[in-house]
Amino acid sequence: MSFLEIKNLHVTVDDREILRGIDLTIGQGEIHAIMGPNGSGKSTLSYTLAGRDSYEVTDGAVTFDGEDLLALDPDARAAKGVFLSFQHPMEIPGVATMNFIRTALNAQRKARGEEEVSAADFLKLIREKAKLVGLDDAKLKRPFNVGFSGGEKKRMEMLQMAIFEPRFCIMDETDSGLDIDALKMVGEVVNALRDSSRGFLVITHYQRLLEYIKPDAVHVLAGGRIVKSGGPELARELEKSGYEQFIEAA
Amino acid sequence: MSKSLLINPSALEAGLEAAFAARSKTSEPQAAAFQRFSKLGFPNRRVEGWKWSDFNAALRKPQEKGKKPAAGEIPLSPFAALHPVEIRIVDGQYQLPEGARPEGLRFRLIDPSGTIPEFERHPMAMLNVAMTGKALGMQVVEGAVLNRPILIRHINTGAGFTFAQTLLRVSKNAWAQLIETYEGGGAGFYSHLFHTVVRDGGRLDRLVLQDTGGDAVVHGICAAKIDCASRFDQTALSTGARLARHETHAHFWCEQSSARLNSAALVSGGRHSDFTSDVIFKAEACETRQLHKGVAKDRGRNVFQGKFHVERGGQKTDARMAANALLLSDDAEANHKPELEIYADDVECAHGSTSGALDEDALFYLRQRGLDEASARTLLVEAFVGEVIDGIGDEAARYIFRARVNDWLRNEA
Ligand SMILES: Nc1ncnc2c1ncn2[C@@H]1O[C@H](COP(=O)(O)OP(=O)(O)OP(=O)(O)O)[C@@H](O)[C@H]1O
Ligand SMILES: [Mg+2]
Repeated sequence: MSFLEIKNLHVTVDDREILRGIDLTIGQGEIHAIMGPNGSGKSTLSYTLAGRDSYEVTDGAVTFDGEDLLALDPDARAAKGVFLSFQHPMEIPGVATMNFIRTALNAQRKARGEEEVSAADFLKLIREKAKLVGLDDAKLKRPFNVGFSGGEKKRMEMLQMAIFEPRFCIMDETDSGLDIDALKMVGEVVNALRDSSRGFLVITHYQRLLEYIKPDAVHVLAGGRIVKSGGPELARELEKSGYEQFIEAA
Repeated sequence: MSKSLLINPSALEAGLEAAFAARSKTSEPQAAAFQRFSKLGFPNRRVEGWKWSDFNAALRKPQEKGKKPAAGEIPLSPFAALHPVEIRIVDGQYQLPEGARPEGLRFRLIDPSGTIPEFERHPMAMLNVAMTGKALGMQVVEGAVLNRPILIRHINTGAGFTFAQTLLRVSKNAWAQLIETYEGGGAGFYSHLFHTVVRDGGRLDRLVLQDTGGDAVVHGICAAKIDCASRFDQTALSTGARLARHETHAHFWCEQSSARLNSAALVSGGRHSDFTSDVIFKAEACETRQLHKGVAKDRGRNVFQGKFHVERGGQKTDARMAANALLLSDDAEANHKPELEIYADDVECAHGSTSGALDEDALFYLRQRGLDEASARTLLVEAFVGEVIDGIGDEAARYIFRARVNDWLRNEA
């Protein structure tokens, strides 16, 4: 049984077909990177995997642990361990950060039949992880992401990833807009989670992050299709030559 | 038989006229007030300021007989936890508490207010002035800081018309916290006129929670005169009713004073809530912050009308108003009318108004993190209203308001 299997995935947004037959298999313990030009459908793929309802699957299938992922609500997917680090994380005024993350963690745990985490244990956990991702206490006390810089919002995504310990992490340009220290931190968060039970889909425009996170495979997404797959060397090659050749191919 | 004052009176107006005529004790000003009301009649939607809240229409709907609870059935107020001085106005009957009163607070029943000049063209206020038999008179003496809040519970259980008045003087450098709750399952009309003066250096924190049955017609009219370097801080929450209108008329007469006029409405079913206010800035350097949040679902309707009127003397006025509506269904409605009328040149005044559905992006974000749809929606609506609730200074009171919001969200949203 494969970990994550995407077969011939076609997705339409607002009557426009954005994904035009994606095939991708991620094995347990693997990290796959996706690169590709702007507008090629990378975020569309991540939203579709996370279950955003305006993304209509017109054909194909996605299984996670052998189960039909597309049949599940977004929250049910989250409980199964699917986590999306958003390319553009939301600001949610009026929502207390710590309370929200604890509610989310416990909702996931409850759905899995696990015990809820006590307030005290949670406080310990979030303090420890916040330190790791470089967010101070004052930021945790603010309404969720309100007034945060782009980089701080990405750190908040990594904070949640570190706390939820998801089994399948989709990281949509988590590295964009991060300073070098933050990039290193992202590498640390991923490498701490990386084990034989988890998988990662890392969307990026730069090969830099991939120096901290050694991918098992690199794919090029262009025009809604995977047009090339290879090893880590493909990322380096792309950095030099760009996407032009693939745009032609798509 | 005496000649009617009303031109073409409706059955309702004629009934009130008869009730007024039957009263044993009416003062000159009350007679004058009734005459003014008679000229104006119940406001309907063609009258400026009333177009979204048509009392004439609401009062004509057949009124069911309310169920009168037996004595002793009045439930404990959630605000009892704050050890307030609890005054009840049950179907128009004042019930003053026995026992010790906090130092610096005086109250007794008094004759109602005579005419109120600024309300002479306000039919509903004139009707209240004309019809109210007794008023609750309260005073916080100079320099007193009350160690317990005052709680006035407006409990209405019947049908028909009920009127009451409260006059509160907050003397120089005194500080009072007043909580008012509108309660009961009555299906009648209740009008309460609250008239307050906050004297120099004084402060009044007023909280209003209107949470009546859905058949009621509730009208709260607050007139606040704010003297020098004083503060009026008000937060009101309404769950609507057949028609619930809360008016605030604040007058800054002297320099360096401030007010907060926050409100939130949660309306479901066919309920209607209306927050209407006008703030008059007559003196320099006064400040007002006003935030309204309205949540409407089903066929709920949420009205906000806010006006800042800065007179020539109101230089250096700093006044901001924002009204935000959240519509949770296609049939829900929000009507906003923010207005600025400014005759001074050196002022900072702003207003803004928004209206929309829940943010789908935020909803998806929360669900991606594991919250089911209902919890995610609840969290977002709570956050929306939270900005008003969070402004309540008293922690215990804030907690009770928040609990009421959560309750509403669980049961109605
Ligand atoms: N909600 C939407 N409504 C309309 N068009 C959309 C929507 N979402 C995506 N698209 C379109 O789908 C295409 C793919 O967008 P997507 O965000 O998936 O690209 P991407 O590969 O993530 O690009 P980038 O590298 O810029 O993040 C784009 O042309 C975009 O305009
Ligand atoms: Mg993208």
